[in-house]
Amino acid sequence: MLFGIIWGDYLDRSDIKVCVLRIEGTNNEEEMYNAFKRLGTSPEIVHLKELKDIFDYNCLMIPGGFSAGDYVRAGAIFASRIRAKMANELHKFIDEGWPVGGICNGFQVLVELGLLPGFKRMDYPNACLFLNNSARFECRPTLLKHESKGKCIFTRNIPKGEIMMVPSAHGEGKLLLPKEKDFDKLFENDQVVFRYVDKKGEYAEYPWNPNDSAYNIAGICNEAGNVFGMMPHPERAYFDRNKNGISGMKIFESVLKYIEEK
Amino acid sequence: MSSKQNVFEVDLNLPDEKLLELSQKIGIGLSLDEMKSVKNYFKEKGRSPTDIEIQAIGQAWSEHCCYKSSKNVLKKFIFNLEAPQNIFVIKEDAGVVEFDENYAYVLALESHNHPSAVEPYGGAATGIGGILRDVVCMGAQPVALIDPIFFGPLDLPYKQLPKGVKHPEFLFRGVVAGIRDYGNRVGIPTVSGSVYFHPGYTSNCIVNVGCVGIVKKEDIIHSRVKELGDIFVMVGGKTGKDGIHGVNFASAELHEESETTSRSAVQVGDPITKEPLIHACLEANSKKLLNGMKDLGGGGLSCVVGEMAHAGGFGAKVNLEKVLLKEKDMMPWEIWVSESQERMMLAVSEENLKEVLDIFNKWDVNVVVIGETIPEKRVLVYYEGEKIFDMDSNFLTSGPLYAREVRIVERIQKDIETEKPTDINKILTKMISDPNIASKDWVILQYDHTVRGSTSLTPLWGDVVNFSPQDSAIVKPVEDINKGLVISTAINPFLVEYDPYWGSASAIDEVFRNIVAVGGRPHTLADCLNFGNPEKPERFGDFYQSVMGLNYATKDLKISFSSGNVSLYNESVIGSCPPTPTILCVGIIDDINKKITSNFKKEGNSIYLVGKTEREFGGSLYYRVLGIKDGIAPKMNPKNLVNYSNALLESMKDGIIKSCHDLSEGGLAVAVAEMTFGSDYGAELDLPLIQDMRADEFIFSESNSRWVIEIENDEKFEDFLKKNRIPFMRIGKISGKDLKITQKGETLVDVPIETLRNKWKNAIWNHMG
Repeated sequence: MLFGIIWGDYLDRSDIKVCVLRIEGTNNEEEMYNAFKRLGTSPEIVHLKELKDIFDYNCLMIPGGFSAGDYVRAGAIFASRIRAKMANELHKFIDEGWPVGGICNGFQVLVELGLLPGFKRMDYPNACLFLNNSARFECRPTLLKHESKGKCIFTRNIPKGEIMMVPSAHGEGKLLLPKEKDFDKLFENDQVVFRYVDKKGEYAEYPWNPNDSAYNIAGICNEAGNVFGMMPHPERAYFDRNKNGISGMKIFESVLKYIEEK
Repeated sequence: MSSKQNVFEVDLNLPDEKLLELSQKIGIGLSLDEMKSVKNYFKEKGRSPTDIEIQAIGQAWSEHCCYKSSKNVLKKFIFNLEAPQNIFVIKEDAGVVEFDENYAYVLALESHNHPSAVEPYGGAATGIGGILRDVVCMGAQPVALIDPIFFGPLDLPYKQLPKGVKHPEFLFRGVVAGIRDYGNRVGIPTVSGSVYFHPGYTSNCIVNVGCVGIVKKEDIIHSRVKELGDIFVMVGGKTGKDGIHGVNFASAELHEESETTSRSAVQVGDPITKEPLIHACLEANSKKLLNGMKDLGGGGLSCVVGEMAHAGGFGAKVNLEKVLLKEKDMMPWEIWVSESQERMMLAVSEENLKEVLDIFNKWDVNVVVIGETIPEKRVLVYYEGEKIFDMDSNFLTSGPLYAREVRIVERIQKDIETEKPTDINKILTKMISDPNIASKDWVILQYDHTVRGSTSLTPLWGDVVNFSPQDSAIVKPVEDINKGLVISTAINPFLVEYDPYWGSASAIDEVFRNIVAVGGRPHTLADCLNFGNPEKPERFGDFYQSVMGLNYATKDLKISFSSGNVSLYNESVIGSCPPTPTILCVGIIDDINKKITSNFKKEGNSIYLVGKTEREFGGSLYYRVLGIKDGIAPKMNPKNLVNYSNALLESMKDGIIKSCHDLSEGGLAVAVAEMTFGSDYGAELDLPLIQDMRADEFIFSESNSRWVIEIENDEKFEDFLKKNRIPFMRIGKISGKDLKITQKGETLVDVPIETLRNKWKNAIWNHMG
């Protein structure tokens, strides 16, 4: 395929190993795998049971789906199994600057793990992706404005202020933090990566903001910028087939560029 | 017989009336003649049957399993159609059709009506579960789900609800939630379907489910054992008391007591068991470790063991105590016929067994060896070493066939003169807010239609938050190529009820033009025929006419039915459901980037109508709104359909068609309105004088084989259509923010798009919100 030729040296790329982690009910792993594969890397779909050492990989991705049926709370069971298996290794992996990303259910897992917003090291959640205000699962296209000033390593190839059309599909995507101060901190730290907007680029209400997330927030990163989660699905908008401008591919390119330069 | 094993002999030496009573008492629903042939069979054997044996016959001989009423008719009119792209069709759980040189696609369509009427959430969810297994058991990865569903009116007052019947809104909410929770969790996009409301579905809701999958040709696997020595390996969910007598329940009319007597016939679904089960089955299959695979659906073990062994030319020996159970106190016959969900049966050679067990263990999916093939064509069942079942599979799998009496109910149709309504705006608004026209976004947006990242055209498409309904969905099933599967369903129950023959032919016409409207080439069909009690001659007459209509409509199309299902007995004390032959069509688009969508693209572009408009108002929405019961049902001509379609596909290739939408219920006016909804624009139509027709009739006629098309280059388009002798008419242009329809200076319709769009969007929400 063309991408290896356009985007850097194919050989280096193929040395990059991406772990697409799954358990039962995870169901977006193939499109996540394809997103990295198309860019010339060596992704692997790994069942948590079979994961040997996270340090075998250069990047950890938690895909969407309904891990363990989303019983208890979306992402909670997957998070607690990850914690039981490798809490310390994962913190070390992140501290060493390796990228960790979560899309949709994966974002919910990272929040349940306490890694996002991750103001300080903790092993319990300090945020929640609550039930959408519409109280329903909703699958619809959403417009996202890129807000990161450069901290988030997953979006560095996307200019600030760009708008992308990315499909959303979730029932629990309304981001809330315990205190108003937490939001101030999120903005001050450049941790807000994507916000839902309307066609004019303005922060608008439902259905533009499909879950009524606070401040229209769709995706955030940690303080260091190497842990990132978002509700909408860039892997489903990988190709800009509908000519909406920025394609989902940019996200995967950004993180690969970071790994290559690391 | 040993009572230790809870197996009992059944004495069939009974007088006729007692014999029939017995059939009903033990819940197998066989007729007197059928009971008598069972009696004779065992008389020849010189013994009485065990309860498990007679239960097995009850399963195998049910209408649901052996199509005893419909098979003769289907053989004559449906199965005899052929198409070169078919790889193998009709004979197994799903049809297999060529996609390209390396891949085939697999499709299946069936009903889950009775379970959904009693327990809508579980019934609909397990419908999805079952159709997924039908596709997986051919070795295919499911890539799309399809859900045509039919209910009574949402605003039905509770006091008008027949006894023992659940309210349409209750059923509708439950069914949609069941489809949503199962489909979304298992991660297969629900991309197509339909929602219909009609009083005839009040006591017989219809829930059809379809699935399309993709398989490498070398990985196609059959539902049979391959050789002597094959081991039966049962995988997936455990077996419980849920789903006992499901097929018998599905083969009888619903009655007041169905709720209490048949609740246990509804299975319990678990998508989080199914999701890894699909992965494990496909992994084992792609590693060439399986000799055969079949899903456990209707009739449970009883059907699957006999059918797999029989199809391979062998028999089977099963150790029933090996089956993993959900609950302890199950009788052997209950284990044998249970229809518990999420189970598959594999035929595996001895040398591959360990590897297969390892794969399923890795995925945390239950796996257990329950039996083996034997040379003689018999099915033997043992329970802890004791033989409790011994029958030849020929007798078991050769259910009776009937030539049911056909009575054609004459339906007199006449074209009548009507008075021109004074306020067409009001009529159009009423049509747009009719629940059968109104936006189904309340339903569609609850289904994940973009999971797997391969949906190229979603069922609603337009301007981010404003959508036009699309005629088909498109899925790109193979990573490396841009070829897509185009998927659509069609059925207008009002029309089929008005005229079963032409209504059914119209469903073929509609599904064909739906595929063409997005740029697809229709490629194969599946049908799910939902009708009333076939033992009533007039019901069977409807069935007969409908199937003849399908035959007529398809015979020149060069495509055939590759999969199908018949659901009879959709009937209760207050009557039958409207005849409902649901049609699913899969088409091919060579490059998904060339798809055509239905929302208007650019102000100033021309709007064309392609096809011929006739005085055809029988069963139309227009006459329903006016309260008129007469009219001629729309006819269709397969040759015209093909010619028009080919011309449109050719112009689409040239890139001159910017948007396209088929004309169905509500005719031209509704189609154009729908095209504006997903755009920022309105439309101005100015009609010429039409022969034999007033303008209001023209804009609401439901004649077949017609499309509305947006064109940028008029001349090129017109030249091409003229050259191909395709009837067309330039009717107006995309303009402003209103829908204006005029004829020779006289205004028929003038409404702001925003007003129409709100009516259209809110009609279902107002009930459900």
